[in-house]
Amino acid sequence: MFPTPSPPSLISPYPWLKDLKPEERGLYLIHLLITCANHVASGSLENANIALDQISHLASPDGDTMQRIASYFSEALADRILRAWPGVYKAFRSTRMPVLAEEIHVRKMFFEFLPFMKVAFVISNQAIIEAMEGEKMVHVIDLNATEPTQWCALIRDLSARPEGPPHLRITGVHQKREVLEQTAHVLIEEAEKLDLPFQFHPVVSKLEDLDVEKLRVKTGEALAISSIMQLHTLLACDAGGNRSPLAPMKGVGVQFQRAAHTNQGTLGELLEKDMVNGYSPSIDSPSSSPLSSMPSSPKIDGYLSALWGLSPKVMVVTEQDSDHNGKSLMERLSESLYFYAALFDCLESALPRASIERLKMEKMLFGEEIKNIIACEGGERRQRHERLEKWNQRFELAGFGNVPLSYYAMLQAKRLLQSYNCDGYKIKEDNGCVVICWQDRPLLSVSAWRNRR
Amino acid sequence: MKTSRSSSSSSFLLLTREGGTRPEIQANPDAEVIALSPKTLMATNRFVCEVCNKGFQREQNLQLHRRGHNLPWKLRQKSTKEVKRKVYLCPEPSCVHHDPSRALGDLTGVKKHYSRKHGEKKYKCEKCSKKYAVNSDWKAHSKTCGTREYRCDCGTLFSRRDSFITHRAFCDALAQESARNLNPPSIGGHLLGLSQQDKMNQGALSSHDILRLGRPSPRYETLVSPGGFNPSPRPSFVHPNHDHDHQNQPSYNSMFPNKSSLQGLMHLPQLHMNNTSPNSSTGLFNLSFFPGNTNNAASTMEGGPHNSTSGEDSTLFSSGNLMSIAIPSLYSTSQGMQSPSGGAQMSATALLQKAAQMGSNTSNNGGASSSLLKSFGKSPDHHSFGDGSIYNGGGNHMQELMNSIAAAGVGPGAAPMFEQVEYRGFHGGNSNGLSSLEQAGRLTRDFLGVGEIVRSVREQQQSGMDHLGKQTQPFGEGSFH
Repeated sequence: MFPTPSPPSLISPYPWLKDLKPEERGLYLIHLLITCANHVASGSLENANIALDQISHLASPDGDTMQRIASYFSEALADRILRAWPGVYKAFRSTRMPVLAEEIHVRKMFFEFLPFMKVAFVISNQAIIEAMEGEKMVHVIDLNATEPTQWCALIRDLSARPEGPPHLRITGVHQKREVLEQTAHVLIEEAEKLDLPFQFHPVVSKLEDLDVEKLRVKTGEALAISSIMQLHTLLACDAGGNRSPLAPMKGVGVQFQRAAHTNQGTLGELLEKDMVNGYSPSIDSPSSSPLSSMPSSPKIDGYLSALWGLSPKVMVVTEQDSDHNGKSLMERLSESLYFYAALFDCLESALPRASIERLKMEKMLFGEEIKNIIACEGGERRQRHERLEKWNQRFELAGFGNVPLSYYAMLQAKRLLQSYNCDGYKIKEDNGCVVICWQDRPLLSVSAWRNRR
Repeated sequence: MKTSRSSSSSSFLLLTREGGTRPEIQANPDAEVIALSPKTLMATNRFVCEVCNKGFQREQNLQLHRRGHNLPWKLRQKSTKEVKRKVYLCPEPSCVHHDPSRALGDLTGVKKHYSRKHGEKKYKCEKCSKKYAVNSDWKAHSKTCGTREYRCDCGTLFSRRDSFITHRAFCDALAQESARNLNPPSIGGHLLGLSQQDKMNQGALSSHDILRLGRPSPRYETLVSPGGFNPSPRPSFVHPNHDHDHQNQPSYNSMFPNKSSLQGLMHLPQLHMNNTSPNSSTGLFNLSFFPGNTNNAASTMEGGPHNSTSGEDSTLFSSGNLMSIAIPSLYSTSQGMQSPSGGAQMSATALLQKAAQMGSNTSNNGGASSSLLKSFGKSPDHHSFGDGSIYNGGGNHMQELMNSIAAAGVGPGAAPMFEQVEYRGFHGGNSNGLSSLEQAGRLTRDFLGVGEIVRSVREQQQSGMDHLGKQTQPFGEGSFH
């Protein structure tokens, strides 16, 4: 019936598709997605087109879980295909106008209806509080200061601790000044209510261009760094334009630290300077790196070294725990299918199908991530999630040592998950790190680190 | 006329008379008891100028005023003799301070007391609805109204931190009592190495966590628990609006069983290592990762006896732990799968596992006779779509399905016109860096799920399976070798 490339106006929409039961439809959708991705990867666009057409008759953004997933994945594949015609692609997207308020709203809903952010906050805060026991001057750096709730809770907890509240400084990093101002406002109000000496410093900067000098870390204060789902975007910088031929090795940390303190400007400039004697592995041969099958990523390594150079008492990192940074499209498709299937299942259990909030989250949050993972390459593909073990390796390479998260932190996280009254969420401990799972699928990991040397 | 010291304990009925008297006050038996009438008490200006009737609160002020009228004036010096202490009685007969033995020592004080207790509340706070009779009370309240509030989970509002803390301790204890009466403490508690008291405290605190976290209504701004209770402070969050109502008791019910499960949960990583890895592999494609763990997936899908992992789960934990709950939920969906009448909706996660498993069945059986489609129709293992009955009715449909899938599996040879075009978006069209021909072969090798399907579909078609009927080959050998 489909022997050779057939004209698109070929067949009446496959009537038998209507008779499929939901489970069969779901399985068939999975199959179609894989097939389509195969075609896209191999360049046979006509077949990909056919597969997408079939998917379009089965998938729907307001159907059941698998239908929704399929619609976003097929959109991502179509996006990928369309990039072959840059002119068409750009024209097609030229009238998109993302509304900042909507994006903020969607993030708030993600915080409200799904437990991940809250669990991450609870665990991070607990790790920070434990590290700051007895400290009088506490400085917290938030690499993405959009959600002030985390720090409101920290302020409350610190002001109630037995030895009395410390002097607290929070430095928030974000691209947009308005967001930082809003965060500052909320936090200052909270601190005033509780009589906690408090300062907020906004740093308006892209994460990859962050100048550690701007963070103004002072001597004598205890530093905590918090990063929630941010570091993976830095992996994109290595794949993009500013790839440095240098690969920092273990001893580099010291040199970076010195450089960071001598006002060398942005980390990007740091990397371009020839200050490291290392080797330069080729980009396409990850096996040449001494790291266990990890491609060289000077940007993230340099970044981590710079953070290490600030000598934080604790650095708490939350990251998605899934490998969406594979070289091949098929690898990424497979992994992200599992991952986002779990996330869509979470939403299915949290909100009814007709819920606008759910639709928005699926479209604007997950859909965009899926599109980025599947359709983009190079510097544009910022959603480069990786597995926990890989992150752990990176941190250790940069000179950090793991701080096992306390039993009490786990306890609070578990209680929080229980309050969602949903059987699917599970939490497990993995080498001192905490992983939040849906059924058996790990989704989010939280870990704490300190300077090892 | 003022008092006279007297030791009689007779009636206080003389109080209505100005300057009424009576003796015997405990603290200072020599004190002069003054009982003023309400009018006199509340009069702001007791000293009146006889000339212009202007009133003054203090006699000294009146005297100074009299100078203006050229009247004789006299400023009284503080007398050298010991001043007799004066105490005042509240004019309201029903009041306890009406009794000389409970007299109040200060005129201003008794005035305020009278207003507060027996007077009309004329001042109202703007922010809240509190009313005050005394102006200074009202002013003092307005300063602090709304600036500092502590709210307990039971809903009581406090303006003072210490009273809030005390109440919370009490509130905790009450809640604990009620929970303890409902639920015997689980045996797992002692496993945690906590003393009974600690366990209770820990539990009490956590229930507050749950109360705060699980509370449906937005109870904002709850402050953290007192330091005395808490070994280390804990974070608090505002919980979103959930539809279910978390009362004290259900939270406790869920709390206690989990004590043992928490202990058990710490053991989990070892149990579940093998479970998590299969999901991380490209299970849909590369079957080499799968076989060891297929059994796990398979047994969870089939709803049959637990595999060893879940068996251990149920023995380790008491009821209510997360792990054993999770697996039955998969069971329920898979059982829905097995009933052809379209039972429960499968979750996407379960669907993916099923699809991967079907792909693995392909290779497990040597790839010769089974395929994704065969398992659709007749499961070689355990799951079935009801013996393919659903497909019998749509036998024709299955042909089309097979065809389309087979066609979709055809390699790049089917799209010659695109081979020459460079796809900048794809880094030269092959993200794997291979030519398209190699790609085809690679597809066969690597993406066994797809390739296998095509090959086995063709084999099926050639052998002609019964319930799928014979059909002609729509294409020749294809370019898939």
